[in-house]
Amino acid sequence: MLEYMTILIIKALVAFTVSLLIVAYSTWIERKVLGHVQLRHGPRRVGFHGLLQPIADGIKGFFKEELVPDNADKPLFLLAPVISIAAAVALIVIVPFGDKVTIMGHEITLYLTDLDVGVLFVLGISTIGAYGGILGGWSSGNKYGVIGGLRGAAQMISYELSMALAVIAVVMVSGSLSLIDIVNAQTGLWNIVKQPFAFVLFIICGLAEINRTPFDMPEAEAELACGFNVEYSSMKFALFFMAEYCHMFVFSALVTTFFLGGWHGPIIDGPHWFFLKTFLVIFFCVWERSTFPRLRYDQIMSFGWKILLPFGLLNILLTGLWMIVFNM
Amino acid sequence: MELVFLLICGGVAVIASLLVIFARSTLHSALWMVLSFFMIAVVYVLLQAQFLAMLQVIVYAGAIMMFIIYAIMMLNLRQESRQKTGARISKIIGVGSLIVLFLELMLVSLGNNLTPIPGPVSEKLVATYGRMAVISNFLFSDYLLPFEVVSILLTAGVVGAVVLAKRER
Repeated sequence: MLEYMTILIIKALVAFTVSLLIVAYSTWIERKVLGHVQLRHGPRRVGFHGLLQPIADGIKGFFKEELVPDNADKPLFLLAPVISIAAAVALIVIVPFGDKVTIMGHEITLYLTDLDVGVLFVLGISTIGAYGGILGGWSSGNKYGVIGGLRGAAQMISYELSMALAVIAVVMVSGSLSLIDIVNAQTGLWNIVKQPFAFVLFIICGLAEINRTPFDMPEAEAELACGFNVEYSSMKFALFFMAEYCHMFVFSALVTTFFLGGWHGPIIDGPHWFFLKTFLVIFFCVWERSTFPRLRYDQIMSFGWKILLPFGLLNILLTGLWMIVFNM
Repeated sequence: MELVFLLICGGVAVIASLLVIFARSTLHSALWMVLSFFMIAVVYVLLQAQFLAMLQVIVYAGAIMMFIIYAIMMLNLRQESRQKTGARISKIIGVGSLIVLFLELMLVSLGNNLTPIPGPVSEKLVATYGRMAVISNFLFSDYLLPFEVVSILLTAGVVGAVVLAKRER
């Protein structure tokens, strides 16, 4: 029992440290890639090619002044970033980094938990995380904040449905809701081949769920002056920022898990493949941010409800027919 | 250990439900309700019903409360002033029926020796097939008709809502 608990605690510490380091450095990746795409250099003053920039940013965040607006709803104003970051970090629990390995005679699984309802856990906790941004916008008592929060709420509800439909198709071909079983079902043939439409659907809806650029309505700088986090400063802002990048990491890990075969791959071993694929998806997120302009709000909503949702339903129907006809 | 968790989560759920009624601002009420739903989900997990717990979080704490909060924000009910409803008779009826209900509950639970009836989902089934498979087997075989009827009911609700919304234009 004691041994089990010790292994579990060490595993949790390692998983969270690694994930949060990736989160910190994905800000660096984003600034660097965006810079080079736009023919700039990006950060390069702090450390070799700006490698210490995320740490410098963190330290700066701690020393900035904390401000709470006069007409803010104070308890909610303080609670909102906490909800945001807590939900984002909680999602790391189900990320499957790799299969079983043997270290010093102990067989250790490279994931924190194998939840029977892993897929539902992802959907549920990500909705809870959405409360953070919405409440942050509302409680700061700023009209831009409120509008950002409202847009965030509407967008979350709309795109979560289509995302769930994309995941249901994956669950159908894998035959399980557990992320580990989904990865194991992709031995040999990845889900991106079996479910190309669900892959596209999941990428689009996932980008909307993590508020990335064609869909970054809640914080559209040009119209809302940063939206829901406009009144936040110092570490409270940094928590929102971290939550956003944490969501990006979890989203990339989920794309890897659901569609790109998780830890499967030839020559090098499991975790390396996992991180390689995850970084590719993170790179994709940055790349598309520098490519696409922001959509208009009503376009986003009608696209979500009138195109993606029927498309997702149709995909499930076709998957079901396929499975019946070919008796899978 | 489980009992301690159960008492804490149940207690928080009860307090949160009370605060739903007593909170001054409408938005705070809604948020206490989210907390209450979330705590009930934790109680479900303690009762080994993970699937139900996750649905509770997704549907109630997530989607439905998000809609309610969205509506509150749209209508901008920031500080709702508490109106004094003058009808004293409604208060008397409310308190009276509450006391009667509470007494009935006390009488039933004290008078009878309550023993739990085991449902069809047993430890053995869960151990062999896993929780999800057991629930879905029951849902799509024994309880298929109620399941379909409920889904038709919900679809009818959606269609009705669309019709009502269209008519106003």
